[in-house]
Amino acid sequence: MISDYFLLALNSIMHRKLRAWLTILGIVIGVAAIVALISLSLGLQATIEEQFEAFGADRLLIAAQGFQGPGTASDGITDKDVEVLERMGAFKTISYGSARPGEVEFSNEVKFPSVFGGKNGKELLEDTTDLKEGRYIDEGDDNAALIGSRVADGLFDKKVRVRNKITIAGKDFRIVGVLEEVGNQQDDNTIYITLDAYREIFGQTNEVGFISAQIKPGVDIINLQDRVKRELKRSRGDENFQVITPTQILEQIGTILGVIQAVLVGIAAISLVVGGIGITNSMYTTVLERTKEIGIMKAIGARNSDILSIFLIESGLMGFVGGFFGVIIGTLLSLSIGEFSTQAGFKLIVTMNPGLMLFGLGFAFIIGMISGALPARQASKLKPVDALRYE
Amino acid sequence: MNKIIELKEVWKIYKLGKVDFPALSGANLEINKGEFLAIIGPSGSGKSTMLNSVGALDVPSKGQIFLDNRDIAHLHESDLAQIRGKKIGFIFQSFHLIPSLSALGNVALPMMFQGINKYEREKRAKELLESVGLGDKLNNLPGQLSGGQSQRVAIARALSNNPEVILADEPTGNLDSKTGEDILKLLRDLQKRENKTLIVVTHDEKISKQADRIAYLSDGKVIKVSKNK
Repeated sequence: MISDYFLLALNSIMHRKLRAWLTILGIVIGVAAIVALISLSLGLQATIEEQFEAFGADRLLIAAQGFQGPGTASDGITDKDVEVLERMGAFKTISYGSARPGEVEFSNEVKFPSVFGGKNGKELLEDTTDLKEGRYIDEGDDNAALIGSRVADGLFDKKVRVRNKITIAGKDFRIVGVLEEVGNQQDDNTIYITLDAYREIFGQTNEVGFISAQIKPGVDIINLQDRVKRELKRSRGDENFQVITPTQILEQIGTILGVIQAVLVGIAAISLVVGGIGITNSMYTTVLERTKEIGIMKAIGARNSDILSIFLIESGLMGFVGGFFGVIIGTLLSLSIGEFSTQAGFKLIVTMNPGLMLFGLGFAFIIGMISGALPARQASKLKPVDALRYE
Repeated sequence: MNKIIELKEVWKIYKLGKVDFPALSGANLEINKGEFLAIIGPSGSGKSTMLNSVGALDVPSKGQIFLDNRDIAHLHESDLAQIRGKKIGFIFQSFHLIPSLSALGNVALPMMFQGINKYEREKRAKELLESVGLGDKLNNLPGQLSGGQSQRVAIARALSNNPEVILADEPTGNLDSKTGEDILKLLRDLQKRENKTLIVVTHDEKISKQADRIAYLSDGKVIKVSKNK
């Protein structure tokens, strides 16, 4: 029975091709928008999580509170704070460093990439970023520089290679290694040197941009976070700093992403509602157009419930077809945006999501049925004689 | 003879604005099983209303209509649909085929509403179409058929659930006289061969002359029933 109605509904859609397709187009756009937006924001989340996982969840980040303008440097993190942490004895390694844009000269060309000076950072970098060629910088190797992939290829007219010489703020460095592409422009456009060399060329003595401390195994990170806060507060005499775990950052980002996702899906949902109203409109017109046909079907034995089913299935089918193409277009759209974005230097992992695709299909079918419910009810209630007389 | 249909004091009143207009005003009629009855009368005398009431397409305002000794005048909509589907076959003046379905699909449709499976439906629809001489037009859409061919499809459709009663409202009204005669002959042959009760509303004397009996309607009442010799 149901399969018969299905074929009947399909037949009737096929006989009013253009209008049916225009109605379906509304649903296609709505579903495609929702699928694309959801998979893009899922992709964004996955990308961020992946980068944090590489960074490691067993670390505490210590940085100055809020924005640091010129002249407030004395409120920032210094070597003294690092010493406080070292004395606590709860950390395996304490990496710290600073970063700022620097004047870099290579082959008579001057650019301003980001320069990062780090201490004890070799392991951290080894964990997060692979080498394309050469080696990482050893401690005390104050003439060595390690460069991101964009610095090597793209920043200067000439490619920068291992063993080339570059000048940073007037001091010569030798390139010892080139990093693999990370996928975000900030990191790929960075030159890494030791913190001592950094302080020498930028005239700094004890300022530290941030500290990333890896805790010893078995130490409770939340507990330690509180202890670090207390110790630093005592030694510094202020609370002008923050101690964060990567998990907390991830949670914060997750919250922000959630809000963005809700807004985006809300916007896409509006277009789906408009698509649903399109189906309702089209089904009302169809009921009017086919009043006589409904009368005929009743005259040859169709019950009210038969007519209701036929029209509900027809509108549900329009929703389903719309959902089908919407899911395909939405998925292709998000995959290509992900691909495009990654190639443009902003890494974005977008994957096919079967659950989301099924959801899109089912949702569109239900939207179609709901939109068709009122017209279908009206059709089923028509009196056979009146319907037959309708011109 | 067994009576299959009986109308007792049947009224049908339409409200036209504030005025009540009685299309049927106490009509009485008995129809025998297996007969060919013609209903004639001037325009507005209630012929079609009477036919629709007998065929469970319309519900009378007052009175009783017995079909196989069961009063169908005040049944629920789904019961009426069952009666229309199983016991009655309709033939209309303007054919009333579903334009998006082929001849085969149109003839098979009443069987679908009775839950008969696709194979059986199509087999019987094919046989019926062959029996009305349209074995070569199975897959034609109604738009590709002539008036006479369309009415043949409608006749095949009316027979699809093997009903006891066939109701025809001006079945030749939209056809030229030659085609009309062919259609009438087809109906008459079917009625005799399969012993169906055939009730035809008509203006056409050629039809009423061939009927077993003629009921004359005037102002919503049966004023005379005569036997044809």
